[in-house]
Amino acid sequence: MSLRYLKQSLSDGVRTLVSRRVYLICLIVVPILTTLFFIDMMDEGLPLRVPSAIVDLDQSPLSRQVTRSLQASELTDINEKAESYHAAMEQVRSGKVYGFFRIPEDFQKDAVSGRTPTISYYCNLTYFVPGSLMFKGFKTIAVTTAGGIVQTTLVSAGMPEAVVSTMIQPMTVQTQAIGNPWMNYNYYLTNSFIPGMVALMVALVTAYTICDEIKRRNSRRWLSRAGDSIVVALAGKLFPQTVIEICVGLACQGIMFGFYHFPLNCPVWHMVLAMVMMVIASQAFAVTICCLITNLRLSVSLCALTGILAFSLAAFSFPVTSMYPPVAAFSYILPVCYYFLIYIDQALNGIPLYYSRMYYIALAIFPLVPLGLLWRLKRRMKQMVYLP
Amino acid sequence: MKRIFSGISATATTLLRVWRREFYLVFHDLGVLLFFFFLTLAYPVIYTIIYNQEVIKDIPIAVVDNSRTVSSRELTRMIDATEGIEVYDYASNLHEARIMENEHKVYGILEIPGDYDRRLGRGEQGVVVFYSDMSLLLRYRTFLSALTDVQLAAGADIRQENISRLGLASDGMGGLPVENEAFLLGDPTQGFASFIMPGVLVLILQQSMLLGVTMLAAGIKERRRRFGGIDPETVPAGPMTTIWGKTLCYLTLYLPVCVYVLDVVPMLFSLPHIGDFREMFLYIFPMLVATAFLGQTISVFVTERESSMLVIVFTSVIFLFLSGLTWPRYAMNDLWTWIGNAVPATWGIEGFIRMNSNGSPLWEQSHPYTMLWILAGIYMVSAYLVARFSLPSRRTRLRDSV
Repeated sequence: MSLRYLKQSLSDGVRTLVSRRVYLICLIVVPILTTLFFIDMMDEGLPLRVPSAIVDLDQSPLSRQVTRSLQASELTDINEKAESYHAAMEQVRSGKVYGFFRIPEDFQKDAVSGRTPTISYYCNLTYFVPGSLMFKGFKTIAVTTAGGIVQTTLVSAGMPEAVVSTMIQPMTVQTQAIGNPWMNYNYYLTNSFIPGMVALMVALVTAYTICDEIKRRNSRRWLSRAGDSIVVALAGKLFPQTVIEICVGLACQGIMFGFYHFPLNCPVWHMVLAMVMMVIASQAFAVTICCLITNLRLSVSLCALTGILAFSLAAFSFPVTSMYPPVAAFSYILPVCYYFLIYIDQALNGIPLYYSRMYYIALAIFPLVPLGLLWRLKRRMKQMVYLP
Repeated sequence: MKRIFSGISATATTLLRVWRREFYLVFHDLGVLLFFFFLTLAYPVIYTIIYNQEVIKDIPIAVVDNSRTVSSRELTRMIDATEGIEVYDYASNLHEARIMENEHKVYGILEIPGDYDRRLGRGEQGVVVFYSDMSLLLRYRTFLSALTDVQLAAGADIRQENISRLGLASDGMGGLPVENEAFLLGDPTQGFASFIMPGVLVLILQQSMLLGVTMLAAGIKERRRRFGGIDPETVPAGPMTTIWGKTLCYLTLYLPVCVYVLDVVPMLFSLPHIGDFREMFLYIFPMLVATAFLGQTISVFVTERESSMLVIVFTSVIFLFLSGLTWPRYAMNDLWTWIGNAVPATWGIEGFIRMNSNGSPLWEQSHPYTMLWILAGIYMVSAYLVARFSLPSRRTRLRDSV
């Protein structure tokens, strides 16, 4: 008996899904296109060769050598020459360059005679990534220039070359970037923003589907065709979507890990499981919101607002541990946050599954939350009051 | 002559009526109010609160000290004393440290080799290894800059010692013959909120307006479906008058919103805000015009009030990336550059953050400013076409109503 209802409900669900273009666009086209967008845009991995300017007030062999080193560095690209600080600053403010390197007057003379000239460099940090890269490039050149002069002076004074080089840098810290030694932004950002996008679209479409039935005054029929069982009704309506969403989520993973060979240091099924669980958890998250918020249109808005906030709250760029604790607490109610943590542990760092167990458990809890609240949704479906 | 004047006054009257009706519609629509006012009021605050800590402090690391000497302890103390790093615990070997990392207690491991002190004493280079977790690049960056500072400071100390041991006069030899000085513009503390918020504020203006405008347009379509092809709330007017009347309404509503989002919020949170606000306001004006027209253009794709969210919301992320705030525009290929060029917020963000954070005057932003006006023109034409061909013409409306 109830199997008949389930069948009926499922076929209704499939019919809803194919009845409107907007579902297929949101569920299939948007996630796939966004994946390709991210991967293609950040194809180079790092935005090297930051446009920069040089202010060479010395015009000596030494200063020209510094300029050539800057030009040869992979981090900076000297494509503007400015004749003064003010001219260079104007180029920074008008956006032609992201910063400039200034060599003072009498640089060579002072450097050789031990009067300690000062090289200064200006980086526009309003654009974080190019600004930081440029800062690194400028700093390296400034320090090595100084080192080069010491070396020349000391070696010409008769010191052995091996002693001199350790004297310039007596201790060094070798930093090993585990998992992403290329500092590839594509691996970093695509892996966090794509699941964020999938979760956003899943939650939005789920809330929209429920809202749409009530808005079209169709919900009582929907419920009766499911044998007056809210669980069967929701299962029938949402399961066809779940299947598509999981397929799309896995396709996104396939594009990243399969075609583009993003680092995947764990068995594939760890990430597959995470994606499947995240999709279901996101649906459950949306259903929970629909149960809690009386106005159903508001619940769609709320899914949209939290979905967008998730990109910040799930700590893709700024860590949860550094946020204010009350704010950080919010990140733990977002399914995509756990997916991201699983990705870090598994695909990026490849540590044993045991250490990620809590994240999988958290994702498994999400579908249980709405079960206790479904009666609220059922009551509302019977009343069918749509508030615009 | 008289006819011209009466024509103008008739148009102006219609324009005013469209404008007044749009006002009425906005304030009688909770969904639109939510986007126009709640979103713009709350989001800047929420986002800034999320990022308000600006920098990451005291990231826990584990230390594997195989040397256990004065100099290795000295190094550990120096690293612990940095703003970015905190020594969480010593581990007896790398394996133990890795377990700490797996348990998410630490995000980096410093390994000091057994011969560290011996090498320093011999005048050889002492090498220590730092293994950094790469889950967040901001963390890696904090590690790197803290460790570079330590390396320079410790290096200077050791050099000083070595030189005096050689019997040379140590003063003046410890430092390098060329000093260097870094100036960070726009965001001197390298804080995250100071970097991202000015751009996000502009994007919030655009996206909230797009959401509201498309929802209003979808409302018209819904009413038309309900009332058999006619929207009782629409003021009869030509397409050009209609789109201008509506745009004027949105602009009026966004004047106070703009002051709040672009002036009050940066002041509330002490974000970088050094430019002249009047000029910034002048700058952002064409972006609002372009956005209002863009919203009326894309409303052709939206037939239902709720689906405006499905269509618009996800674009926020795309637009944020297209603007070059995260991934700079010079590193994008032509396709994405051109798509980015078509988004008002791309230019809005570019010019606004230079004015807001770098204190640039308006005349230096002539390129993005011109682009904004061009976009406003293009979208005005497209909005006109949409209004002209998607709305039923007056004749068919009359015919239908008969």
